[in-house]
Amino acid sequence: MSARTESRPDGGRVLRALLYAALILFAIYYLLPLYVMLANSVKPLEEIRQGNMMALPQVLTFEPWAQAWSEAKVGVAATGLKPYFWNSIKMVVPAVIIVTILGALNGYVLTKYTFRGANILFGMMLLGCFIPFQIALIPAARVLGFLGIAGTTWGLVLVHTAYGLGFATLFFRNYYAAFPTELIRAARIDGAGFFTIFFRILLPSSGPIIVVTVIWLFTNIWNDFLFGVSFGDFDSQPMTVALNNLVSSSGGVKEYNVHFAGAILAALPTLIVYIVSGRYFVRGLMSGAVKG
Amino acid sequence: MTAKGRLGALLPKLILSPSFVIVLIFVYGFIAYTLYLSFTASTMLPNYDLVGLRNYERLWQLPHWWLAVKNLAIFGTLYIVVSCALGLFLAILLDQKIRGEGMLRPIYLYPMALSFIVTGTAWKWFLDPGIGIENTMQQWGWDSFQFGWIKDRTMAIYCVAIAAIWQSSGFVMAMFLAGLRGVDGEIIKAARIDGASTVTTYRRIIIPMMRPVFLSAFVVLAHLAIKSYDLVVALTGGGPGQATELPATFMYSYTFSRSQMGVGAASAIVMMMMVFAIIVPYIYAETKREPGQ
Amino acid sequence: MGSLEIDSLDKSYGAAKVLKDINIEIEEGGFLVLVGPSGCGKSTLLNSIAGLEDITGGEIRIAGKKVNDLAPADRDIAMVFQSYALYPNMTVRGNIAFGMEIRKIPKAERDEAVHRVATLLQIEDLLDRKPSQLSGGQRQRVAMGRALVREPQVFLFDEPLSNLDAKLRVDMRTEIKKLHQRLGATIVYVTHDQIEAMTLATKIAVLKGGVLQQAGTPAEIYNNPVNTFVAEFMGSPSMNLIPAQAGQGPNGPTLSIARKAGDPLVLPAPEAVAAYAGRGVLLGLRPEAITDEEAADRNARVVETASCRIDVLEPSGADTYCTTDLGGKDVIGRLRADAPIRQGEDATLAFNLDKAVIFDPDSGERIA
Repeated sequence: MSARTESRPDGGRVLRALLYAALILFAIYYLLPLYVMLANSVKPLEEIRQGNMMALPQVLTFEPWAQAWSEAKVGVAATGLKPYFWNSIKMVVPAVIIVTILGALNGYVLTKYTFRGANILFGMMLLGCFIPFQIALIPAARVLGFLGIAGTTWGLVLVHTAYGLGFATLFFRNYYAAFPTELIRAARIDGAGFFTIFFRILLPSSGPIIVVTVIWLFTNIWNDFLFGVSFGDFDSQPMTVALNNLVSSSGGVKEYNVHFAGAILAALPTLIVYIVSGRYFVRGLMSGAVKG
Repeated sequence: MTAKGRLGALLPKLILSPSFVIVLIFVYGFIAYTLYLSFTASTMLPNYDLVGLRNYERLWQLPHWWLAVKNLAIFGTLYIVVSCALGLFLAILLDQKIRGEGMLRPIYLYPMALSFIVTGTAWKWFLDPGIGIENTMQQWGWDSFQFGWIKDRTMAIYCVAIAAIWQSSGFVMAMFLAGLRGVDGEIIKAARIDGASTVTTYRRIIIPMMRPVFLSAFVVLAHLAIKSYDLVVALTGGGPGQATELPATFMYSYTFSRSQMGVGAASAIVMMMMVFAIIVPYIYAETKREPGQ
Repeated sequence: MGSLEIDSLDKSYGAAKVLKDINIEIEEGGFLVLVGPSGCGKSTLLNSIAGLEDITGGEIRIAGKKVNDLAPADRDIAMVFQSYALYPNMTVRGNIAFGMEIRKIPKAERDEAVHRVATLLQIEDLLDRKPSQLSGGQRQRVAMGRALVREPQVFLFDEPLSNLDAKLRVDMRTEIKKLHQRLGATIVYVTHDQIEAMTLATKIAVLKGGVLQQAGTPAEIYNNPVNTFVAEFMGSPSMNLIPAQAGQGPNGPTLSIARKAGDPLVLPAPEAVAAYAGRGVLLGLRPEAITDEEAADRNARVVETASCRIDVLEPSGADTYCTTDLGGKDVIGRLRADAPIRQGEDATLAFNLDKAVIFDPDSGERIA
């Protein structure tokens, strides 16, 4: 949008100053909790108790981080968050790969090889994104038990695959819908079959949507708590569950600095993804919501 | 498609079938199972004796459930209305050809990357009168400053809303910003030639054009609100007492801690009905819209 | 190169028939142009020939071989698309060679074929670029190269020039014509541009609403349209269709045309009009058959002159178009650029009735 700003010199300048003031105020509002977590995660506990949470640390210590990572008591065992961090990785990586591949193939079929009833199938898959997961808790526990993967990482991968498919399919479907059908036709005349077209023509042009889907799935699955707490045990519980256990473990002194270090550790992977590929992150959120 | 052998015609369906089978079981099978359980006398373990609508009757007689629904109404309304208002406001501010927009936008948006558990942990502490904002203000010399909502039965639910709005409003801002950027510049020029001020142009022309964004934001926020579970667990644990219970936490505690699986299942079904009432018309419109072939 | 025959082809989507009983053939080395307004079914027909869409009934034969049940790749055709459909992730070389790669043709042979086609189209220096680095005209050439390298029985072109600007379109049109002459290829070409159709075709097929209206040489289509639709669709400015009253004069049938001022204009008419005596007909005259007196065709057998009020003059450089009111309709004539005729005044116009065609106003069918 161009030529919106008023060009009146004097009143305009005051207005612009107010505008920037408001914008900066909001930036502080959004940054404050992060700052507080960060600042207090490097203070000794004593300083937090007596001092001010807004203050910069007077004594800088990384002890809380080390504790949160490998020593703190999470639930019953004093293991730190480390094992759970790996649990999360072991759960997120396969789930993201599986769902992305399936989503891409589904999107391809749904746009370029449609058949009667395909739209209904898609609608049914899409509805799956939105069901309250509470509905799945009881039966999923039984299905995982039946399959012998209750409490395992693979059980969580399966659950996340099931509920990630709808969005992944939606992303790829919307992306491939805009992919020129004439290109598919040209390839068919050149003699390319179903998979050749997919791997040689479609996939090389799918970079942006793959990034979006991977980021979307990564953040969602990493940040999940409900499935992790319901279907995970020590060998499979993800980071979010461990963080909650760490923070809410009753008894003893509340080690706020350790809690904060833990919270940042739990947020770090998604924050890094967000910082590295913020542009795509926004696009992913948008295509999930606005276009969807 | 030309008849290129039966396999050629079958392949697309074959490709789609694993996903569809998974969805069929994990979504529709599970809905059916939970629906069935909600009509049974299940307690700690599933039990297949049908008891008709008794669980639903019990559910709606429980003050605990009523509290959860009332909380959802308060939380949901605040969450949706404030997030939309704040998001739109920020988007309009950012749309004034701001220097440094590229830096501000990610700052507003990053909370969306966080887990609700992290958000809850941060805000739990921030809102705690002993060490959080109240303590800070008093240390800075504002001795009469009080902010103890999180310990207050009637006000605690607003704390949940505050934290949730902090997390989601940046995302709503991004949606509106994309909407604003999509407005045809010539329409704005036309409005200026008609003599409309900036405020009038927004109020009368641009904001009304944001209707589809309002709708999308509503759908996204509403279904997030109904599903909200992690934030409450991390922020208040449902307390003080039961003051911040939401249907999602209610379902979990009745099913798994209180061994009333039938009632839990019934509450899950009610939650699903609420979500579907919002989402089904939206999905219907989405699948009607043919992909641009 | 081979011939193409289409026998009583039908195509429907559910209950909607989009192509009805189409019969066309084009001989080896012929250039068939399918024209018609959008939605007439011309692209569907082309896609059916390519095998990209199934047909409901009838038969398609390429080089005498029935191809109804063959996949597009097995029909021995090549196609140039409106959007060019170049694979964005491959270089020009990769695009041209892709089909051969799929058919597992050895690398050396592929390189040679690519080189040959690139030389023919003068795109040798573009071979290592990606499509996004090419201009519209260059993309067009690459798309043609991809088709040429195939050496198919039949080339299919789907509005290949419609995405180019006006100047380039004319150049590429000439180039396609030259290529056709040089290669002696059989071509089926879809366009909605009737000038492209006239200049390129050895045979034009005019479609409307899924029905073939007329198929014939460009001259046949232009001079002897079978109905008012074909008459108006081909030619620019399009043929004048002047409402007239059929009558019987002392020397045979006549046509009487109302003028704004003065008596009706009475013109001699062919014998076939006699059956319509006392009824209305439409007299079809192309603008070049209505001229100033000096420009009238000296070889014509029947030229009538009449005084007409000139409402509008539109100089176009080489000629000047004039508009006059005949039979209650604006009728366009083509004058010499320096004809001494002025707007708003009466002038004598010559009507070349050798070129006249007459239609039934109700059915739109040709009478004479």
